[in-house]
Amino acid sequence: MSDGPGVVMRESGARGWWNLRGDGDEPRFRDGVAAVVGVSPPIEPCTWHAAGDRRAYWLGPDEWLLTAEHGTEFESPLRGALHGRCSIVDVSGAQILVNLSGAQAGEVLRKSSPYDFHPRRFPPGRCVQTNFAKATALVAANADASFDVVFRRSYADYLRGWIADAGREYGFLRGSLGTDHPTRRQRQPAQDDD
Amino acid sequence: MHGFAGDTLASALLANGVSRVATSFKYGRPRGVVGHGAEEPNAIVQLGQGGASVPNLRATQVELYDGLDARPCSRSKAQRLAGTFGRFMPAGFYYKTFMGAPQRWTAGVARPTALWTASEHVLRRATGLGRVPAGNDPDTYDRFNRHCDVLVVGAGPAGLAAALEAARSGARILIADEQAELGGSLLDGSYSLGGEHASKWVADAVAELASSADVDLLPRSTVAGYYDHNFLTIVERRTDHLGLVAANGTRQRLHRVRAGQVVLATGAIERPLVFANNDRPGVMMASSVSSYLNRYAVAVGDELLLFTANDHAYRTALDWQRAGLAVAAVVDCREAPEGGLVDAVRGAGTRVITGHAVTEASGRRRVTGAMIAPLGPGADSLTAAPQHIACDVIACSGGWSPTLHLSSQTGTRPRWHESAVAFLPGDLGKRALCAGAVAGARSLRDCLEQGALAGATAASRAGFGSGRTTFTAPETDEPSQAPSRALFLVPHPKPVSRAPKQFVDFQLDVTAADIELAAREGYTSVEHVKRYTALGFGTDQGKLGNVNGVAILARTLDQDIATTGTTMFRPAYTPVTFGAIAGRDVGEFHDPERHTPMHAWHASHGAMWEDVGRWKRPWYYPRPGETMQDAVNRECLAARDAVAVLDASTLGKTDIQGTDAAEFLDRVYTIGFRKLAVGRCRYGLMLREDGTIFDDGVTARLAENRYLMHTTTGNAEAVFAWLERWHQTEWPELDVYLTSVTDHWATTALVGPESRAVLARVCDDIDLSRDAFRFMDVREGHVAGIAARVFRISFSGELSFEVNVCAQHGRQVWDAIVEAGGEFGITPYGTEAMHVLRAEKGFIIVGQDSDTTTTPHDAGMDWVVRRNKPFGFLGDRSLDVSDHRREDRLQLVGLATTDEDTVLPEGGQLVDKPEAEAPVPMAGHVTSSYHSARLGRSIALAMVKSGTTRLGDTLHCPLADGRTVSAKIVSPVFYDPDGERQNV
Amino acid sequence: MLLIPCPFCREDRSEEEFSCAGEAHIARPEKPAELSDHEWGDYLFMRTNPRGPHRELWVHTAGCRRYFNVLRDTVSYEVLVVYEVGQPPPDPPGGDES
Ligand SMILES: [Zn+2]
Repeated sequence: MSDGPGVVMRESGARGWWNLRGDGDEPRFRDGVAAVVGVSPPIEPCTWHAAGDRRAYWLGPDEWLLTAEHGTEFESPLRGALHGRCSIVDVSGAQILVNLSGAQAGEVLRKSSPYDFHPRRFPPGRCVQTNFAKATALVAANADASFDVVFRRSYADYLRGWIADAGREYGFLRGSLGTDHPTRRQRQPAQDDD
Repeated sequence: MHGFAGDTLASALLANGVSRVATSFKYGRPRGVVGHGAEEPNAIVQLGQGGASVPNLRATQVELYDGLDARPCSRSKAQRLAGTFGRFMPAGFYYKTFMGAPQRWTAGVARPTALWTASEHVLRRATGLGRVPAGNDPDTYDRFNRHCDVLVVGAGPAGLAAALEAARSGARILIADEQAELGGSLLDGSYSLGGEHASKWVADAVAELASSADVDLLPRSTVAGYYDHNFLTIVERRTDHLGLVAANGTRQRLHRVRAGQVVLATGAIERPLVFANNDRPGVMMASSVSSYLNRYAVAVGDELLLFTANDHAYRTALDWQRAGLAVAAVVDCREAPEGGLVDAVRGAGTRVITGHAVTEASGRRRVTGAMIAPLGPGADSLTAAPQHIACDVIACSGGWSPTLHLSSQTGTRPRWHESAVAFLPGDLGKRALCAGAVAGARSLRDCLEQGALAGATAASRAGFGSGRTTFTAPETDEPSQAPSRALFLVPHPKPVSRAPKQFVDFQLDVTAADIELAAREGYTSVEHVKRYTALGFGTDQGKLGNVNGVAILARTLDQDIATTGTTMFRPAYTPVTFGAIAGRDVGEFHDPERHTPMHAWHASHGAMWEDVGRWKRPWYYPRPGETMQDAVNRECLAARDAVAVLDASTLGKTDIQGTDAAEFLDRVYTIGFRKLAVGRCRYGLMLREDGTIFDDGVTARLAENRYLMHTTTGNAEAVFAWLERWHQTEWPELDVYLTSVTDHWATTALVGPESRAVLARVCDDIDLSRDAFRFMDVREGHVAGIAARVFRISFSGELSFEVNVCAQHGRQVWDAIVEAGGEFGITPYGTEAMHVLRAEKGFIIVGQDSDTTTTPHDAGMDWVVRRNKPFGFLGDRSLDVSDHRREDRLQLVGLATTDEDTVLPEGGQLVDKPEAEAPVPMAGHVTSSYHSARLGRSIALAMVKSGTTRLGDTLHCPLADGRTVSAKIVSPVFYDPDGERQNV
Repeated sequence: MLLIPCPFCREDRSEEEFSCAGEAHIARPEKPAELSDHEWGDYLFMRTNPRGPHRELWVHTAGCRRYFNVLRDTVSYEVLVVYEVGQPPPDPPGGDES
């Protein structure tokens, strides 16, 4: 294609990732997380909150995925801040994040997942865990119309190849993101409102 | 041959004067093109050669391109055989050949008969229409998931009106049509809309749709399947019209559509009339004759005879006349047809013969004339002898059969409507509507208005618009139409059984006599008759013949058509290529490979791979010149004598936190975890509720309320789902959270007497001494400068440390350990050596040495079962059921072959007396078997009936080559029975 | 291909994201040791397999990983109700409908 790539995949460098479990209906839990992470865990299903580089993705009614810049220490401070039923697990080694941008980024998603990524159903601030090719992934809609796709490290070679293959017909370019930013140069998709 | 842009293969063949396009399947009769679309039964072709070759295409749907290379799918050799044997292949041929003759029905289970066996090879060649392509398909196919508020199937007048109306509501629309151009029947006929040629209206409609936001048009796209909850599959042929192999991009795309609402505007297929020799080339559907004339400028003959039971087909006579061609006559089976079209034909001076039917086509290689005779009142007799009229085309129209295949696929049974003389779709429920000819509409105006209403209704049901239409149908020039006559089998002066063949299903050569025979032989259900005669079994699924077949059966059984009913249709509407079904899930994408962080190291060090679940694990690392056994021997000895290193990252790992974590583990494992000290590990067995072994592994207590569970590689996800299930559904009150950390940790297992020395070189903050870091301890510290969790556990019986670090650093730490081990001769080893080492120790592999019937007792593992826990554990109760206490159950033992160099085959059956008369009682089977380099002999594990009480007995393993290997039953622990080597 | 409303994600999702875990409301006996082999066997193996509305346990495998119950018609495949584990089973909808 002469008018530039239709799909650009940029892979994030190392980041910190944590799986958080607890009672989201408890204000003390939400406040405790917000105090340490700087962003509160979303209560609305299939949404994510961001503050700067830190994110909290809804994974389930009592489960969130947190991410922050590489080297951040959340585990001990969160244990200190949260009381009662909760769990915090470092999963930094398990996650790979790629950002898909370009006019046809959505087409790559449609080749990969049965979920409905139409902007009306999947506006910025939404996220979804779903089948992705023959693996699974967390897909998040960004304010700049790009998508973040988070998947397990062991599937990374397969999925990088899959995405490149799916994007080829639209013109595909592969780049990288800085180590600190899952998606650089973008506005915050959803304000922290609780 | 030459054609024009826009031609189909069929129109080009007809234009080139090719009247014979196939040889019929059973009788070897010449066949010509009958239709002009998906319904075509005869002109079935195979395109191209080699891997790109595609069989089973309808020439009526193949768009012409330069260099197109096509052959009939029929095959000369098989056809010649079938031709010869034709008269011996009456109805029920398949059935009788497959299942035995009818008089043998009482025999209970039907078996293939000797006749089937003998004729199988002949039939296999004769029945397959087309040839399996040789070689890999060079093309690319893919899948695409789509969602829409309204899916419109078919872009004829009803479909376009529906799409226009729905699109104006703002709903998300997808409209798919199998033809290259949208417009449906409007492309074929000489219709006018709003005073202009209908093509103008089509162009305007398509332009409006194309410019609407959220409307997607899919031409060349066949809706092939309609499944539950409005899930449909659409095959889009993206490059088929350009050539056999796509220059670049995707040849075909399978759209997987989830639609809020579906509007079926699939139209109708004209129904043939059944008369003697109605399969002669030159007998065609009336609408097809018009289509070739109007759309492709092809006159399919010189002199036309139109045989009709309705007004609509009179258009064909008018079209023919308008083209300056001769119409021999219009033969109308109705007594007194009247209406605008009839008047127009009469007004043009054409001879209209009413109350008559064509009883027989004349001519052998193609039609040279028609025999016509007056019909009696019930249409089941002739009132005078037939007379001959010369012609070279007989255009037929028995009426219209709605294309209800998709509605039928959803399980909605079609209903017979006497007034429409057709099956119409049954109740489609709240998620689908039908409109236009498929719903029984006969006029263009009705099609447009029904379409618009369906579009508005569908959009409104999907939450868009009011449901009222704003559509005003353009003026049409249609005269009113008189009712059609129901005529399904034209009588012949001879009885059906002796008249020349009257074909119902052209593709599989099913005749009216076959259906009558089936009924006489006692078949009364339409589904049985279908299977007995093969009616509708072809690749065309009986699109033309089905209704006539049902009607002839009904008449033979002396019942009405509604009672007789129709067969159901299944996906796909037309054949779908395997390529489209497979999509991109081929080659490297066929099955995902999971890689550990050290994968690239293994690859660059020559690892051979073993697939474990989806993981690629190094199997062994052969050096130049080594056999597999050489390499495995070397790797095993390194682990026993010096130091070896294994990538154990694939083991399943679950983090368990909460104040009830210990209680939870107590319930899911046979052993207790409550009293396990922090920093210690314990081996556990997990049972299914039926008491059989589900999984095993080591669990460590990391903190008061935190554990880390290891599971087997292949079972990791099943175990995790199992644990979640018990927590979420049975014990939600337990304060425990489970998190999979399999992918987070990279694990390097350092094994062998020198492992402590190697680890000491890269770890200075853990006291590695024997008493400070005991067997089954876990410690945290740093390895190669990276935060690490180190387990002193062993699956080999040797001193062993498993170093776990965040996967981001897995490769780095592996490299550091390998480098530190250099002076000790550190040797990477794979899963094969791992298996030999554990088998020498008698450690089982769940799923290899155990199966879904093996209890802990069977595996000799009572030592890991605690029967006195307060709650008990999953599977506990089942250990006491009578069957599990039998003493003759299969039990784990070791086998030492008499000949130390012979390795038993895994899976080999064991018997006590190999010379006994068959069936020889089985004593058990071999589950694991290797050559042990350390022991210098063959070792095996086996499950043997009452095995634990039979130590010292000799069993025999008969091999496929006739030899028998004998082996003595021994303890499964072959090496270091007291476990001294791991406690150093 | 069913469309299943996940009660936790609060969206209709495609069947391929889910797994069916068999019949719902098969409660584990509180005191297995007090059951006869026959009674224990009933708990392990006997299921209702009705024609019509059926209470099933499903899990949103590729999504939120939560288990929940589905009342599904085994003839029409309609998903009639979804409800959380621990809630009482709803009555099958009565009367005629199409
Ligand atoms: Zn869910």
